[in-house]
This record gives sequence, C-alpha cells and structure tokens, in this order.
Amino acid sequence: MSQPQKSFGPYLPKLVIGAILAVGGYWFSVNVHPEFLNKIHDQGIPLDLGITIAVIGVFLILFPVINFFYVTPLQEAIGTRNNDLERTFSEAEDLRNEMQTMRTDYERRLAETEASAREQIQNQIKEAQNLRQSLMSEAADKADELVRKAQQEIEQERDRLINDIRVHVVDLTLQATEKVIGENMDSAKNRKLVADFIENLEVAK
Amino acid sequence: MTDSRIGRRYAQALFTTALKYDVVNSVEDDLNGIVNLLDKDPDFKHFLIAPYTSRDEKAKILDRLFSDRITALTMQVVRIMLEKGREGDIPDVHREFIKLRRTHEGVVFATVTSAEELDNDQKKAIVEKLAKVLNKKIEADFKIEAHLMGGVKVAYGNYVLDGTVRGALSKLRDKLRHDLLKQS
Repeated sequence: MSQPQKSFGPYLPKLVIGAILAVGGYWFSVNVHPEFLNKIHDQGIPLDLGITIAVIGVFLILFPVINFFYVTPLQEAIGTRNNDLERTFSEAEDLRNEMQTMRTDYERRLAETEASAREQIQNQIKEAQNLRQSLMSEAADKADELVRKAQQEIEQERDRLINDIRVHVVDLTLQATEKVIGENMDSAKNRKLVADFIENLEVAK
Repeated sequence: MTDSRIGRRYAQALFTTALKYDVVNSVEDDLNGIVNLLDKDPDFKHFLIAPYTSRDEKAKILDRLFSDRITALTMQVVRIMLEKGREGDIPDVHREFIKLRRTHEGVVFATVTSAEELDNDQKKAIVEKLAKVLNKKIEADFKIEAHLMGGVKVAYGNYVLDGTVRGALSKLRDKLRHDLLKQS
C-alpha cells in the first residue's frame, strides 16, 4: 500500500504569512516606536508590538512545520495502528466465528457419528442375537435329528437282530428236523414216499 | 472247448439223412457206442483229440475200429468230422442227435432223482404215470442223490416235480422265512 505523497502546498500560505509577519514584526520592532507603546511601557507594561507580531509570524511558521513533520505522521501512524487493530480484531472475530462454526459442525458430526455408531452397535447386537438364536435352533434341530436317527437305527438293528434270531431258530429247528427225519428214514418209508409221489403226481402240461 | 452250434449242425444233417434212410436208431446206437468208448477209454479219447496225430492215421485207426461195427452213414460222418478237424465235437453231435430224435418222436426226457435206488417196478410206475399225465412217450434217466433223504424228484423240460424230504424241508424253510419277513 503506497503512502500518499506529503506536500507543503496547504501550508504554503501560512508559511508565507508567518515569514512576512516575522520579518515585518522584527522590522517594526527595530524601526517603529509608536507613542502609545511608550506610554504603556512607562506605565510598567513593556509591550513590543513588533516582537509580538514577529512571534505570531514564527508560530504561524512553526505550526505547519510541527503539523507536517510530527502531527500528521503521528495521526497517520495512529490511524494505521487503529486500522491494523480493527483488522486484527475483525480477523480474530472471523476466526472465532469460523472456529465456532467448525466447533458446531464438529459437535454435530460427532453427535451424528455417535448416533450412527450406537445404531450400528445396536444393529450388530441384534444381528448377533438373531444369529445366536438361529445357531442354537439349528444345533437343537441337528441334535434332535441325530437322536431320531440313532433311535431309528437302534430300532432297525433290534428288529434285524430279532429277525436274525428267528431265522436262526428256524434253521436250527429245520436242522433238528432233518436229523430226526434222517435217523427215522428207512427203505420202507422211502418206498411209501415214492408211492405217494407217483399216486399224487400231477403236472403242468 | 467244443462249439455246440457246430455239433448241432452236424447232428441236424446226420439226423435228416438217417431219417430219410430209416436208420435213426442204428445211428444213435453207433453214436452211443463211440461216445461210451470215448468216456471209458481215455487213451482212445486222447488219441482222437491229439493234434500231433495225423488225420490219415486217425482215419485208418477209426476205419479199422468201426468200419464193420457201425453203419456206413455214421462212419461217413465220423470221417467228414475227422477231415474237418471236428472230432472233438462228436459228443455234441451225439447229444444233439438224441435231442432231435426225441423232438421228432415227441419223446419227453425226464431226470428222476431219488435218495435210494429205485427198483424196476418203481421206475416203471414213474415213467408210466408221467407218460399218462403228459400223454407223451417218456425217456428217463435215473440218478441217486443221498442228500435228498427220501422221496423222488422228477425234472423234465423247464419243470421240476419235487417229492423229496429235502424239497419239503426247503419249502417249509422258505415259507417260515417268508412269514418272518412279513411279520417284521
């Protein structure tokens, strides 16, 4: 940012008037001695009008100089400083507002995240409970099926064994029968069997 | 190993010719004699089947053995089979010839098996009863199998008439097992 160029332009009339008054006052003080000033001096008031005018002229010169070299830069520095402070405060306020917004947004997102996490946890818990229930039900079904199959196999095996025993009993009975018949069979009985066979012989033609 | 189809062809030709000249029984007797000789004389069988004996030599021996004992037709068939290298099929020809003769005459062949040897009256009674109920002429072969325990079994064609004790016990066993299976 460029500083505006300082100029003595606005102060030039005052400087010229001051210089004239200073030089004129001095001249007046040296060369002119009006009567009323003598009377005033005699009354105990040492007033020199020329010097007074010269002092006024010097002040007229001195004020612009002071104003130009001291007051104006000081005012500018104060203004700049005030502007900087205002801008700093404004930036700080903006930052604060931005931080507040961010904080609000963060808190909102945090709350949303927590809510989402809670919901997901609840869902996971519910899903796990359902899965547990399903697994337990499946395991119970399998156990029941195994028990049922085992009972069925036991019954089948029992029936098979009973049947085997019955068949074995039949075989033993028939073996005993064969033995008894074999021991009691003789030629006469055999001839009778043959005769009965011949007598009852009927065939499919 | 012989091929029964070959034996059947020779037997068919031989039977047709024998029937034509009315020498079926003579030819069958001839074949019976030759097969009996093969069964009872292993040396003869070995000589007839041996591949290292020449056909001429076999023909000469067979001529000397059978030419004045069997009919000319049978002798001619034996010579032909010898020339064709089919001497091992003679038992098949015999078996098929008998089948053809039985078929031609309407004879039923039955195998009668008994636990003890049947006397002639029993054999005759069985054959006559079969002939009566089948209304056909019967030829029977009688065998003895002691494990039948008692009674008699007659097999003919696809039929078996079982009157043995063993058969009755088997039927009883099957029936009891069947009943047991039905119960279970």
